[in-house]
Order: sequence, then C-alpha cells, then structure tokens
Amino acid sequence: MKKPSEAVLLLLLLFFTPHAKGTRFSPPGKPALTRCRSPEKETFTCWWEPGPDGGLTTTYALYYRKENSEAVYECPDYHTAGENSCFFNKNDTSIWVNYNITVVATNTLGSTFSDPVDIDVVYIVKPNPPEKLTVTVMEDKGWPFLRVSWEPPHKADTRSGWITLIYELRVKLEGEDDWEMHLAGQQKTFNIFSLRSGGTYHVQVRCKPDHGFWSEWSSTSYIKVPDYFHREKSAWILIMVFTAFIFLILTWLLHMNSHSLKHCILPPVPGPKIRGFDEKLLKNGKSEDIFSALVVSGFPPTMSSNCEDLLVEYLEVYVPDEHELMLEEGKDLHDHCLKSEGSTSDNDSGRGSCDSHTLLMDKCGEAKEQGRQTEQEERPVETQRHQKEWNEDTLPYAHEDTVSPDMSSGRVKTWPSVFCPLPQYSSSPPNHTSSLEIAKQHCLSDSLFPPGSTSSYLTHPGHSTKETLGPSRWEFSLSNKQPRSLHPQMQTRQQLQARSDINLSNVGCEQAPVGLLPPTARPTEYVEVQRVNEEDMVLLKPVASGRGCGDGCPRLRQAEDYSKVKGVNSDHTLLLQREVMGEEAERCPCQDQETNGETDSCITSSTVTTTQKPPACNYTAAAVQDKMAPTVSGYVDTASIFTLPTY
Amino acid sequence: MSGTIRSVSVVWLLLLCLVLCRTLTGTGAAPICANAQAGCYAVSLANLFDRVVQHSARMHGISNDLHSEFEQYFLPSKNQVGRVGRNCHTSTILTPNGKENAQRMAREELTEVILKLLVAWRDPLWHFHRSMAHHHDFTNFSSDKALEMSDMVHELRKGVERVAEKMQTLGLMSDPVNSQVSPEALPPPDSGEWRRMKDYDLLYCFRRDSNKVKNYLKILKCRIVPEHGC
Repeated sequence: MKKPSEAVLLLLLLFFTPHAKGTRFSPPGKPALTRCRSPEKETFTCWWEPGPDGGLTTTYALYYRKENSEAVYECPDYHTAGENSCFFNKNDTSIWVNYNITVVATNTLGSTFSDPVDIDVVYIVKPNPPEKLTVTVMEDKGWPFLRVSWEPPHKADTRSGWITLIYELRVKLEGEDDWEMHLAGQQKTFNIFSLRSGGTYHVQVRCKPDHGFWSEWSSTSYIKVPDYFHREKSAWILIMVFTAFIFLILTWLLHMNSHSLKHCILPPVPGPKIRGFDEKLLKNGKSEDIFSALVVSGFPPTMSSNCEDLLVEYLEVYVPDEHELMLEEGKDLHDHCLKSEGSTSDNDSGRGSCDSHTLLMDKCGEAKEQGRQTEQEERPVETQRHQKEWNEDTLPYAHEDTVSPDMSSGRVKTWPSVFCPLPQYSSSPPNHTSSLEIAKQHCLSDSLFPPGSTSSYLTHPGHSTKETLGPSRWEFSLSNKQPRSLHPQMQTRQQLQARSDINLSNVGCEQAPVGLLPPTARPTEYVEVQRVNEEDMVLLKPVASGRGCGDGCPRLRQAEDYSKVKGVNSDHTLLLQREVMGEEAERCPCQDQETNGETDSCITSSTVTTTQKPPACNYTAAAVQDKMAPTVSGYVDTASIFTLPTY
Repeated sequence: MSGTIRSVSVVWLLLLCLVLCRTLTGTGAAPICANAQAGCYAVSLANLFDRVVQHSARMHGISNDLHSEFEQYFLPSKNQVGRVGRNCHTSTILTPNGKENAQRMAREELTEVILKLLVAWRDPLWHFHRSMAHHHDFTNFSSDKALEMSDMVHELRKGVERVAEKMQTLGLMSDPVNSQVSPEALPPPDSGEWRRMKDYDLLYCFRRDSNKVKNYLKILKCRIVPEHGC
C-alpha cells in the first residue's frame, strides 16, 4: 500500500507548492513622479518612483499633455537621463507652457496611472554648479585677502540674458566645521578678508536663477594663505617691549614712592586716644586709676584760674564831667589793666578795665579812688541785685534772640550768663572787681555811675536804693520776651559812656569776666549792648552821651549797630565792627535828655547801616568825633549812651 | 512780546520752507526723457534698460508672492480638469516660448509683445485690486501688493515706451513699431474675458506673463546694451 500514500503525498506536495512560494501576480503598484528639473530652462527631465511591480515585469510609460491641447504625447527619451526618467529635449520643451505629466506602470495584469503633475518649466530650473572656481591670495596694504572668481555653468545661457543667475559662496578654514556664507549677487568675483595667516581655506560656490532652485555646491577649491608672521607680529613685539619697559619704570617709581603712596592710599587710621587714658591700666583692671586719669584737674576752670587772661571784656564807663577826676585816675590803671592798646581817645580804645569805675579787674583794684569805691560799693548792691535778676533771666536770655531791631536803644542786653557764671560772682568780694565782673557779665556796654550824682536808677523797680547811686543808670533789657528791662527811673539821665572793650573771645570761660573799662575823661563812644540776636551776636549800640554833648555835640549816631564782630584778636579782644544804623542824628539827643522819650527819638532814627565811625557824642567836644578810628581798630567804642528808655 | 516773536518766527519758517521747496522741486522736477530737451534730462539707454529690467523683476516678485499666498490660503481643489481648462486672456498674444524663438524675434517685435502684454494687464489688475479690497478674506498686505502690482504695470509700460523712443532716436529700432503698440489699435479681446476668471487663475496668468515680460526685456537689454550684467 505504499503507492497510494506516496501518490497522496505527491499530490499534496504539488498542491501546496504553489502556496509555499507565496507570490501572487497583481497589477503594478502606482508609480509616482518625484521631480522634474531643468538645468538651463531649455530642456527638462522628469523622474518617477516605481511602485511595487506586482510580481510581473512592469513597464513604465510617461505621457504628457500640453496646456490647452488635448493631444497626449509620450515621453520622447527614456534613457538619456537614466532609469525611470524622461528627458525632454529642446524641441519638446516649451517655456511658459503648462505640462500635465502622468506615468503609467503596466504589467500583464494591468496598468496603473500615477497622479498627474503640472509643471511649468520656468519654475523648475535648477542650474548646474558654477565652474572654474579660482581662488588667489592678494594683498591690500600689507594685509592679505582672497579673491574668488568663477564661471557660470556652461549650459546656462546668461550671456544672452535668457537666464539670470545669482551666486553664493562659502568659506571655511581647514579643520573647522562652520562655513562662512557670502552672497555674491550676479557678480562673478568676490573678495574675502580677515584671513588667518598660515591657514588653509576651503571655498565653494553655487548658483540659482532668480526664481528657481539652488544648484549643488561646486567642487572645493583649496588655498593656503602664506605666513605674514613678521608683518603682524613685529608690531606686536614692539608694543610688548614698549609696554614692558613702561611697566618696569612704573614699578620702579612705585617702589621709590611706596611709602608716600601707602600714606595716600591707605592713610594711617589714628587710633583712639584719650589723653591720660592708659590702656594698660584697663588691662590691669584698675578702673579707678583709669578714670582718675581721665579727670582733668583743671577743668572746668574755676575762678581762680586766669580767666581774665582768656576773656576780658572791657567796658569802659565814661564818667561825665564831674567825675573826670576819677576817670583820669582810672587812666593810670589804664596802663595796667588795659588789655587793649592804650589810646586815650574818646573811642575808648585801649582803655583798661581799670578805668572803669564800675567794673574793674582784680589787678586794677588798688587804684581805685574813694569815689569809685563808693560807687563800687554801691554797685555791688546793684549788681548783685542785677545779678539775681540776671541769674534768673540769663538762661532764657541766653537763648532768646528775638530782639527786634526796632527795639529802642534803651535796651541793654546783658550778656548771657553762659559767659559769666553768676553764682561765682556773688561770692566775690564786693569790690569794684566784682562789680566789674558783674558788669562784664551783663556785658553792659555802659555803666556809668557818676558818683553821688543824680539818683542812679536801677531799672529794677523796687530798688529805690539804687537811686542813690546817682545818675548812673543801668539800663538793660533782657529781651523782648522778658521785658524785664530794668527801667531806669531816671530823673537824671546820666549818660554812661561806657567803653566796651568787649572781649568775648572766650566762650568757654564761664567766668568770662567782662572787662569794663571805666570811661575815661575823654569822650569815647560807648557801646551799648543792644541785643543778642539769633546768631548770638552782641548787638551793640552806641550811646550818645547826652550830657556831654552840650553844645558841640556832634551828631550822634543814633542807633549804631555794633552787631558785627569783626574778630577776636590774640589778646582775646573782641573786635566789633560798628555799623551805623540810622541817619546822622541831627542832634545829640541824649545829652539833653532827661527823659526817656527823647531817648527813643534818639535811637529810633532811621537806620542806615553804614560802617562808619560815628562821631562820638560826648560831652567833651566834637573833637572826639575824630576818634572813631579806634573803634574800627577793634575796640568797641560806642557812642555815648543814650538815655535808655523806660518801659 | 512773545506773541510777536512767535509770529515772526513762523513767518521766517514759512519763507525758509518756500525757498527750500522751490529748490527741491526745482531739482527733482526735470523728468526723464529720451531726448535731451528743455525741461528734462536725458538718461542713457543702458540706464533706461537697467531701470526697466529692475522694475519688471520687482513686478514679477510681487506677483509670485501673491500667487503663493493664494495657493496657501485659497488652494483650489486639485481638480486637474479645471486646471487644464484654464485659459489666460492673454493667450491670444503670440509670445515666443523658447530661447531660440525669442532670440530669433526682432527687437521691434519683442518690444511690441512686451507692450501688448503690459497693456492687456492694466485693467484686469485694477479690477483685481478692487475686488481684493472688498473681500475681507484677504489681508491688508495682499491688498497693498495688488495695488502695487497694478501701479507697476502702468509704470513699466511707460518705461518700456520710453526705451522704445530712445531706441528709435538712436536708430536702433524702426518707427512703425510704436503705432502698432498703441492701446487703441489693440482689438478689445479682453472685453470681458478676464472678468470671468477667478482670482487665483488671474494671479496664475499674471505671474507667468510678468515672467515673460521680464525675460524679454532682459533679452533685449543683453542684445542691445550688453555691457553690464549679461
């Protein structure tokens, strides 16, 4: 029974063999036109991609139709352009005509048409790459550059203008990856600058019609740039040498001046030093020693210290005629006491404080006369009273500064007690010294206590005893705020001619004794402290000596403002500058004045601030007028004091 | 006081402007003419050709841009039947379709062809621009381009006429060409044919015709004044 089984097997094999091979014939797959290109706008080629052939040999055919024509033509040339291509030669190519092209694949089982494609040759131009690319190295003022030149592809007819090509080239250094692109337009040469000496460059070029596709890159052209080492580098070497030379010089200079430079750039920081402070003590931990060392024994300066040396305020009180003697006596002291130059002028310059019988310095004390002493005795009373007043008022006074300039000249502001520690004064012996000092404190520019004369009026009401002091009067007003000016109850208006040599230089010296020099016989100008203004300036006003200016009373400067401190000289003399405020007084108001009212008129003349030497109005004579000079020289010589207005 | 100063300064400014304007207009007023006549200054033929060629290139560029835009946004259905059926209204004008044909053509004929083409496109482009302005689908940019295109056709025609004049005066061309080119002599084939064209087809046709014009002008230039760029 082998034969039937074998036959079955054979049959099975025969039957299955065709299936085992697995191929089935089918019509060809759909081909596709991949692209059509024209290299010179005169011919063109189309390529297609065949589809699956279906197992059978497949043939391809290309058919085309021109625009507005129903005729279908077949591809004239299948071979020139290679496989699966169709080449249209010049005779078959029409420009500006729409071609409708189709490819048909055919095999025994059937045929398949591709999708048709419309082309216009004008828009499918892709030229060949440019030819004859040449690169040469040329030199421009010592610097090399590349000159690249080429030719259009030979097939493209640019000469007749049929095709217009634009070119592009690219350059790169050997070994690098990045190309440098340059668009050259329609020109056929190009220059490349900024080359590296000794480098090898690769150059390529391509072209494109104005509306079309870029060609392939041309073959690479190599060029080696020669070495320009010595050209480029020699200059650099020179520069380097020069720089090194300069550097050396600078270093040397720096080294020479290192010390001063260090000082300039890094100034030595001063360490904190406290005089008498020993850091070592601190380390030792003995705090008592440390702090005791900090205590300066001489501070604050007490009365015993030579404060007078520091600050001398001279207030020379001018005694009217009956007290001339005293004044003259004072002149003797003048030499001792005077700190200022002794000038017997009426300006009171140089008058020592001793001359003032109201305010005398210590060393001048012995020279006092009886009369003065009497006065002085009286004065302490007054002054102490004033003192008290001032004690109360000084502080606020010191700060007040709102004295109106229109304040009548009768106001005398006392100097703030900052300079004159009043309590200390009180302890002083009631001698002329103290009175002087007190007067100094008050910085009264004038105080004249004609001994025994008319009732002295202390402006402080209620102190009738003051009147016994004689015609002298003190007028001082504290400030506007505190119209506590002591109104003089004057029956007699003595004009105090006080020459104030106010040496207010020493602010720190609290004692600040104001040296008030007693007025000498000579008619001098006296300064009346008008006020202290905001800037802590003592406004001094000349006071017309009413009494003295009898007949020949020169015109008084009504309101002379001594507010300007010209300076402080080495002798601690405060130099005040006189400013004449006010017109020339037509008269010597003060001399005749017995009343306050006139004083006002005296003072309230129009202000003419001129720095002049106001003629001193003193009773001696008009000759005094000329002696204003000393005032300017530094001594405050006010005019005779006006009678201070009462309030 | 300030008022008088201001008025005076205004007067001065006006005077200055008048002077300047006169000088400026004076220099720029002289038109280009083929022959050096009074009131205009002559330009060389090469220069004229250069200008005309550049002008045509620019015109073609704009038409290309517009056509691409249309293809992007208003891509007509890939209806090949419709495409084949398209017929430009200028197809009646016989134009050389190859290099040899173009080179074989006499310069007078070539110039005539150019002028015919330009004349044929004047009205359609103007209407196209109007229709574009009304359609809100198009961007302002496209509308501006259409207007520019229409203007350029007009300008180019004038320029080509100048070139023809110049060539005639130089003896490079014979006279009878001009008479044939006048718009009145043209038969009115474009009486309404182009109105039936769709916008896209119109753009397609104009793109091609502008390319023709550009190419013909270049051929003419390189034939007559081949010094530069040929």
